[in-house]
Order: sequence, then C-alpha cells, then structure tokens
Amino acid sequence: MLAGRSLFGGRSFSDVALHSASTACASAILLMLVALVVVLFIAAAPSIKHFGFHFLVTSEWRPNPLPVLKLGANGKPIRDPITRMKVVDHYIPPNFGAVASLYGTALTSALALVLAVPLSLGAALFLVRVAPGWMVAPVSFMVEFLAAIPSIAYGLWGMFVLGPWLGGDARWIHFGFIPFPAGIEGWLSNILRHVWGLRWLAEQNVNGVNVPISTTGRDIFIAGVVLGIMVIPIITAIGRDVLKNVPLAQIEGSIALGATWWQSCIEMVKFSRSALFGAVILGLARAAGETMAVLMVMGNSMTIPTSPFQPGTTMAATLAGEFPEASTNDLYRGALMEVALILLIMSLAFNIVARYLVVGKSSRSAMAH
Amino acid sequence: MLANIHIARAKLISRIMRVVCVGCAVLIVGTLTLITGYLLAIGIHSLNWSFFVNLPQDNPPGMRNSIEGTIILVALASLVGIPMGMLAGVHLSEYESNSRLASPVRFVADVLAGVPSIVVGILGYELLVVPAGTYSGWAGALALAFIMIPIVARTTEEMLRLVPGSYREASIALGATKARTIVSVVIPSATGSIVTGAMLAVARVAGETAPLLFTAVGSPYVVHNPSKPFPSLTLRIYELSNEPSPEARAQAWSGILVLIALIFVVNLGVRYFTRPRRTHR
Amino acid sequence: MLKLFSAMAGMLAVAAVASADVEIQAGGATFPNPIYQQWIKDFGAAHGDVKIAYAAKGSGAGISGLLDKTFDFAGSDAPMSAEELAKASAAGGDVVEVPSVAGAVVLAYDLPSVNGQLNLSGSVIADMYLGKIKSWDDPAIKALNPGVTLPSTPLTTVHRSDGSGTNFVFTSFLCTQSDDFQTKVNFGKTVNWPEGGQAGQGNQGVTQAIQKTEGAIGYIELNYALQNHIAFALVQNNAGKFVQASPDSVSAAGDGALKDMDAQKTLAVGLWDRDGDNAYPISSFTYLICYKDLGYLKDKAKAQAIVDYFWYASHDGQKEAPDLSYAPLSSGVQSRVEQALKTIVYDGQPLPPSGQ
Repeated sequence: MLAGRSLFGGRSFSDVALHSASTACASAILLMLVALVVVLFIAAAPSIKHFGFHFLVTSEWRPNPLPVLKLGANGKPIRDPITRMKVVDHYIPPNFGAVASLYGTALTSALALVLAVPLSLGAALFLVRVAPGWMVAPVSFMVEFLAAIPSIAYGLWGMFVLGPWLGGDARWIHFGFIPFPAGIEGWLSNILRHVWGLRWLAEQNVNGVNVPISTTGRDIFIAGVVLGIMVIPIITAIGRDVLKNVPLAQIEGSIALGATWWQSCIEMVKFSRSALFGAVILGLARAAGETMAVLMVMGNSMTIPTSPFQPGTTMAATLAGEFPEASTNDLYRGALMEVALILLIMSLAFNIVARYLVVGKSSRSAMAH
Repeated sequence: MLANIHIARAKLISRIMRVVCVGCAVLIVGTLTLITGYLLAIGIHSLNWSFFVNLPQDNPPGMRNSIEGTIILVALASLVGIPMGMLAGVHLSEYESNSRLASPVRFVADVLAGVPSIVVGILGYELLVVPAGTYSGWAGALALAFIMIPIVARTTEEMLRLVPGSYREASIALGATKARTIVSVVIPSATGSIVTGAMLAVARVAGETAPLLFTAVGSPYVVHNPSKPFPSLTLRIYELSNEPSPEARAQAWSGILVLIALIFVVNLGVRYFTRPRRTHR
Repeated sequence: MLKLFSAMAGMLAVAAVASADVEIQAGGATFPNPIYQQWIKDFGAAHGDVKIAYAAKGSGAGISGLLDKTFDFAGSDAPMSAEELAKASAAGGDVVEVPSVAGAVVLAYDLPSVNGQLNLSGSVIADMYLGKIKSWDDPAIKALNPGVTLPSTPLTTVHRSDGSGTNFVFTSFLCTQSDDFQTKVNFGKTVNWPEGGQAGQGNQGVTQAIQKTEGAIGYIELNYALQNHIAFALVQNNAGKFVQASPDSVSAAGDGALKDMDAQKTLAVGLWDRDGDNAYPISSFTYLICYKDLGYLKDKAKAQAIVDYFWYASHDGQKEAPDLSYAPLSSGVQSRVEQALKTIVYDGQPLPPSGQ
C-alpha cells in the first residue's frame, strides 16, 4: 500500500520511470545537436585559428608546400651537384580555402532546383487540382518511391547510364529505326555557342585561344541533374500537402471572380508562397548535403570551373574523398573539418529557415516526412 | 471585344498549363519508371546464386558478408534508434504541458533530420572510432541511429497526437496512471502508424553509405563482432563502383537490386501495417 | 522482438568466443594491391588462423590509419614525411618501413584510333597536366611521334582524388622534368591540380575514368593497365630512350638504389628519374610500414603474424612479382629488408620472424 503511493510524491513508479525515460530521450536529441556543433568546432579549431576569415574567400586547396626555386645568373634553377636536384630558396606553405567546394555546392544545388522546382510544382498542382481521386494515392506513392531509392543507386545510375547519355558530342543513337538524341551536353554546348552572351559557358581558354569544352558526362551539369531528380520528391510531397491545405474558399472565390483554372492555381501558389518557398529550401538543403551521388558523377576536381560542363567538387564530396588521409597533417585535417563545419552550419540554417516558412510559429507540421 | 480576346487568351493559357502540369507528373513518374526499370533489369541480369553465398575473395565473387552486414547494422541501429526515438516522441506528445523541453526538442528534431549524413559519419569517427582505436560496427550502427532518432521521434509524436483526447480521459477516469494510459491505451491505438514511421526510418538508413564510410568502413570477411570493421552492402557497392572490370560492375548492379529489394520490402511491410482496419484493439 | 534481441545477443556471444583467429586490419596503397591480395590469399592458405584485411584506399589513408592505430600495418608508395614520422613517434614510437616490391607508373590513355604505343616525355606530360596541351594533335605530342596520325580528340587528364603514393611518385617525377610543374604544383600525396582534369579514386578509379572517356590520359600502376587492356605510353628516360614499362625496366631503375640506401641510411629511396639506358623513369618501390615496437597491440600472436607476413612478402612472395608485372627486390635490398625486420620488437623483446 505504502510502496506505490507517497514514495514519489504521489506518483507510481511506472509513472516516474516513463517520464524520466522519455525526458532523457528527448534531451538526448538536444545533446545530439550540441555534440555535432561542438565536436566539429573543436576539430576545426586549428584551421580556424590559422586561416581565419581567409578560409572563406580562398579558392586554393593545396595540402603540399610550393617551392620557390633558387635561380642562377642565367635565370635557370641551380642544381645541387651531388643529388642533381634543383635548389629551393624557400617554400610557400600549404593553403586551404573553401571557395572551390562552396562554389560547386552552390552551382549543383542551383542546377538541381532549376530542374526540380518547376517539375515539382507542376506535379503538385496536378495532384491537387487535376488528378481524379483514384489517381492521387498511386501517383503520390510513385513520386515518394523516388525518395526511397538510396543515393548510391543514383550515383551508380548517374555514372553508368545518365553520364554516357548526357556527355560526349551531340549525336543520335538508334533503337532499331528510331533515332534518339544523345550527347545532350554536346547539343547544349552547340546551342550555347550560338547564343549571344552565353558563349563562354561552353568554351574554355587554352593558351589564349577559346576552344570548345569536351563534355565528358562527369561534371557539374550531370551532378545537378541527378540532384534535381533526388530532390523532386521532397518538394512535390510538401508542395502537395501545402496546396491541399489552401482553403476552398480561396479557390472558389477566385473562380467566382472569373479566373481560369490556371489563374486560380496561381492564386493558390500565391496564398501558400512562403510554405512553398520553405519546401524549396528543404530541397536545397537536401541537395547541398548529398554526398554519394555527387561523389560518383562529378569528376572531383578542386577548381572553380567557368562552365557547368567541367568537373568540380562539392563540400560533401570533398569530405568523403579526402577525409581518410586527414590524420597525417593537422592543418589539412583542420581544413577538412572546417569545411564540414561550414556544411553543417549551412544545412542547419536552411532547415531552420525552411521550418519557419513551412510550419510558421505553430508546432504542428506537415514536415514529419 | 478586347475583353473577349483577353479571356480567350487566358483560357488558352489555362488549358496549356493544365497539360503542362500533367506533363510534369508524367515526366516524373516516367523518370522513376525508367530508373527503377533499368536497375531491376540490369540487376536481375547480373544476379546469380553465388552472389548470395560467396564472399568477395571467392570465385565467382559474392556479397554474402555485405548483405549480412547491412542487416545486422540496421538491426543494431534500430535497437538503439527506435526505442529512443519513440520515447522522445512520447515525451513530445504526452508530456508537453509540463515540459519546457518539448518545444525546443521538436524544433531541433526537425532541424537534425536534415543534417547531411556525411557530417554524422564524421561525428561518429571523432567520438567512437578514434578513442576506441578501431573502426567498428558499433560506430556505424550508432551513426545510423543518430539519423533515425529525430525521424522516429517526430513521426511518433505526430501519430500519438492523432489519438483522440477522449481515450486518455477515459483511461484516467478509470483510475489508470499516466504511464499506464500511455502504454496501454494511447500507443496501441496508434501502433500501425508508429510502426510506419519507424520502418520508414529503417528503410532510410538501410540505404545510407556516407555515415558508414569512416565508422564501419567495410570488410572483405564475414564479421559478426560489431567491435571490428564491419561490412555493409552500400559500402561494398561503392567500392565496386570504382573498379574498372565489368564483373565488378555487374556485382555492383546486383548489390543495388538486393538493396532496393530490401528497402522495398520494408516499405511494403509498412503499407501492410497501415492498411485500414475495421476495429482498434 | 524479444526473440530477435536474444538471437542477436547469442550470435555475438558465440562469435566472441569462437574467433581465436588472428585478425589483422591493414590498408593503404592501391599501387601494389593486386600483389598484396595475392600474398594475403597465399599467406592465409599457409597460416589458416590468420586473416588479413587490406583496404586499398590510398597511401594517405594507409598512413593515416597507422597513425591513429586503426590499421595494424600500412602500405604506401610514398615514404613517411618528417611530420608523419614525428606523429608516429608520438603515437607509438619509431616505424619500420620496408620496400615490398617495385612497380611502374604508366601513362595510360584511351585513343581507339591510334594503334601501338605512343612516345611521351616528362616535359610533355607535365604540360598536359598543367593544362597547356589540350588536344591529342598538339605539335608537342606530334614531335615525339613522327609517323603516327594523331586525332584531334580533346585531351582530358585524369588524376587521383584521394591521398595517393602513386600521385607522390608521379608528381615527384614531373618535378624533375619541368620547372613550371615544380613551382606550380610540386609533389605530394595530394596536390592542387590545375583546372580541367578529372579525378578517380584509387588506381582502379583512375583506370575506370580512362576507360570511360575518349581522349583521357591518366597515371596508373602497370598491372592495372595490363589487366584492363589499356594502351599506355613509352616514356623517355634520362638517356633519351623511350622505354616500355616492365619488371625488367623497373629493375634497371632499381640498380643504383642500394648505394643510395646505404648513403642516405634509409630504405625509403626514390626510383624515378634514374640513369641507365633501360631504366623506366617512373618507377618506385612500395613500402610496408608498421611500428617497431608492436607491444601496443597487446596481442603477441598478431604481432608475430605481422612480422611473418612481412617476411613472407620479402621472400616467398617475391616469386610472384613478375607474373603480376612488379619487379622483385634485388638480393642486396632483400638483405637490408631482413636487417630492418629483425629490429622489430614486442615490448622491447626481439620478435624475429617464425623460423628465423
């Protein structure tokens, strides 16, 4: 009688146990975020201290020092008579900067959104305003199945199927008698070179001459396409939920005022524009954080290419590719961790903004996806 | 007169845009069909019995250890992630009124769900691999659990909220403690949907590669001890994707097929669990 | 649910008890991976209770793993730098670095319309990677290959994306051939490649990138080019001759190595840019590295297995080198390796290879 009663201030043991356990787990979630930020910050500290703000504006990523050779009287490097090696005057120390990775992340994400946003909005409008009732569930399922495909499958498909199709010169391939365009990048490149002002997108400067870029299908463009496909389900799903919640009165009202179907759609989109924008930002966050698919199709070149038809790299891909050797050099490891920290902060920022836009100040959400 | 032209044009645009919207949906569904169709076709083409039975060193090479590895890793991750996530979800839903944690935790859970998985892997490396001096299956499983917990927490919370308040009130009125109410009344009412949320999280982490890159790291052998470097289907596929030989590529496609089949089975299981039932038990 | 938990627990318990095997975790260079995998198989056949897992993830990952002790030994084509040696001292003391085989870095390319092998020189290769040569019918390439019709295909260079000993060897060679390359890129396991090239992960990734892109050229170990039937170039050596990479031409490059090893008091000696008519100019040793005092492993059987494996690699394993297109160690180098292996200790006590 006594045991279950006043021991815990009138509550039973099971009450206290469940309450404590659930509170502990909930606090664990807070701890997880803190751990993430703190551990990355500490690990990035050597680099932050060394480079400071310059890290964010430097595009060079050089883990090895560069020699400045000692020149002789004739302007040629002096050679050590015994080892025959050129004599070094002094070394320029290693230098790291996040700009090349940031640029790649920004460009691929932008390409992904350019592809995904119109398609997703169109599909969301289709699901909410066009599709007959029986079609909504199966089509939604299929769109969401795109999200269930693991990113490594996208990477493999991008490497061996999409890449060869997109890359290479503009050509036609034949399925029996049916010709089918291939070398899409080649086609785009040919078109761009004839569009005034956009020529530079398809050319590169070699020894002073502008030469068309050879499109290999392993570049920023294909990474953008693959990311776009990966991001479509998110924007479509949230878009559909958001548009579904537009009050009927809005829609009926605009039709009553003589709007066409499309004009009433525009009204719906205008009504929920902040939530839709939030959906787009969520897609952006997903695209920016994607690792495997990008790593496998992007060509991994730590440079800032002028054209999307050249290889590049993103922050996530740099991390995945170069992290294993990080322990050998403190500054190198710190620089990689700083890139990871920037990626984390960027993704947190996107997710926070998106949450406000989609959910507003209320705590219920359509975001439990 | 002028008005008629405007109206006609607006109507035309409307009709065109309607078709465009249908086109968008068709394009998306078509792309999905193309991708999954290709993966299925080429995966089945390269699949053979030895794939499931042999190890990478055998001839012909197989992926038995990687398939086992993924199943074990996901099981271990779920062992940690699902209970913790569910308990957190219970807190967010049932204890919200007297908790200052609920609101920030909900916010943080939503935000954490969107963190890039490679960053989680790096965290796992720093906290679990370096101090232990070895890569391990535990590190991999815990990194996966890290991804699962916020997702499971939020879906559990949402599903519990859908349970009508009258159920809780009736239970309390009958003299049950709060804990008893939650465990015996609220949760069972939402079992199907909670399981859905958990299984969706499971399917998600089964396909993850990046968090395992620096934690479990992969192994060519059959490994059952999670304190050692641990094999995984996704890691093995990634390794194979870099190999130049056509056999390696064929293996990679088969691996993808098996992985997608696993994920699809989980997803289908989810749909089965959440099919509309006539009565609640 | 409960049944599943107890089944898992049971399985783990059984596994923990049943594995009395010695398990060695190693990793590193992809350059020697084909022969290391062969050695692991053969060594494992002779020593049934030893399981070695060698993760070919690049020399950088290998050394990194050795430093944070996630690898019990590492493979690397690049000798450890002063900074890495200092870190190793702090982490576990001195290291033992012994060459296992020598190999060749070849320039493999994808040009279906060209039959036979092209001639290339170090300075032309450097210009390719500096972005100065962008197509295959460039005059510089034509000059080295009179009589060959070169297509106007654009030239795409492929480099390593991961920390690589092969990269170290290749860039070291190019530094001796081109001042421009040395001042703009320099050498190392990871360098800042000028714009335009693609990257592949590991020797195998570069091989694959070359295969998939017409007009691509990349640097890979000889075995990878032969196994995958990819054409590779003859490279001009110091004597002005265009030499085909092979175990013989690599051995020719290794001729002067012994002298340098004794002069520099280290086994880590570069084989690139060596004199000799038949010497292949982009040759290199590849090294097996472990800590000198293996007491930190807290497992004498494992330490013994490591020493035995290194001994196997430098003795019985050498017979398999030419079949896989690697050059075996000369007897002089082999005896230096034996001396080094005999310095390995376990908690201060000598740990000779079994049977020595």
